[in-house]
Amino acid sequence: MSREEEQRLIARVVAGEPAATRELLESYQGAVYAFALRLAGDAALAEDIQQETFLSALRGASSFRAEGSLKGWLLTIARREALAQLRRRHDTPTEPESLESLGVSAGWGAGSPEDTMDEREQQQQMERALGLLSPPDREVLLLRDIEGLSGEETAAALGLPLAAMKSRLHRARLRLVAALRGDTTEDPHGRA
Amino acid sequence: MEEREVAGLRCSAVLELLSDYLDGELAPEARAGVEAHVAGCNVCERFGARFAAAVQTLRKLPAPAGQEGAADRLKARLGSR
Ligand SMILES: [Zn+2]
Repeated sequence: MSREEEQRLIARVVAGEPAATRELLESYQGAVYAFALRLAGDAALAEDIQQETFLSALRGASSFRAEGSLKGWLLTIARREALAQLRRRHDTPTEPESLESLGVSAGWGAGSPEDTMDEREQQQQMERALGLLSPPDREVLLLRDIEGLSGEETAAALGLPLAAMKSRLHRARLRLVAALRGDTTEDPHGRA
Repeated sequence: MEEREVAGLRCSAVLELLSDYLDGELAPEARAGVEAHVAGCNVCERFGARFAAAVQTLRKLPAPAGQEGAADRLKARLGSR
């Protein structure tokens, strides 16, 4: 959907056209659900977040501004809903760590991982690794890499300046590689 | 981790630039510098490949299955506003 098409769709949603609401759902319910499920880690919670996101989006449709994408706007709402749900749980803040020590945990300077997994196994391993990250690490990866928002949109969704978002993204990717590494056998001699 | 300097860049500098490199956000000279370092440093070549492969798998992760029930209930909830 181009930005103009998104703008037109939202105008029809604001005008109360049922077909427009259906189209909004069909286009974005999958992304909102996947984001909520991976962020919250629970199907029932993901479903609540999905419903609250669209209820809130429909109520606030007239506030959508075309500078960002519709998907970015919806995921920003979904993130807010998810955080409201997750706040009840306890978050352990991640200790500040040097980039080098993050790199070493991720296998910087170590051997190559044994590469015997098929695509499906790699994807399952990736979902497990994502689940091990802290919510702040997970959400930046979900928005930027999985949902494919631009750097600017991801920063806006997280309420961070662009440089801070990039730094968080890089560290989150390194922690992800570290989590994957914890799940893989390694060839100690490397195979460069 | 033994640091080397290859093509005017230390390994730790390359480590810091990996995401910007993958995201296509480096200026041409910086990009060329990373590529020259990686071509001459097997540590960074190996780790860069591992890092890039992980991000690639992440970007291509399929949508989680089993959303049909949620989709039906979403429609019902919005329809009965
Ligand atoms: Zn190096």
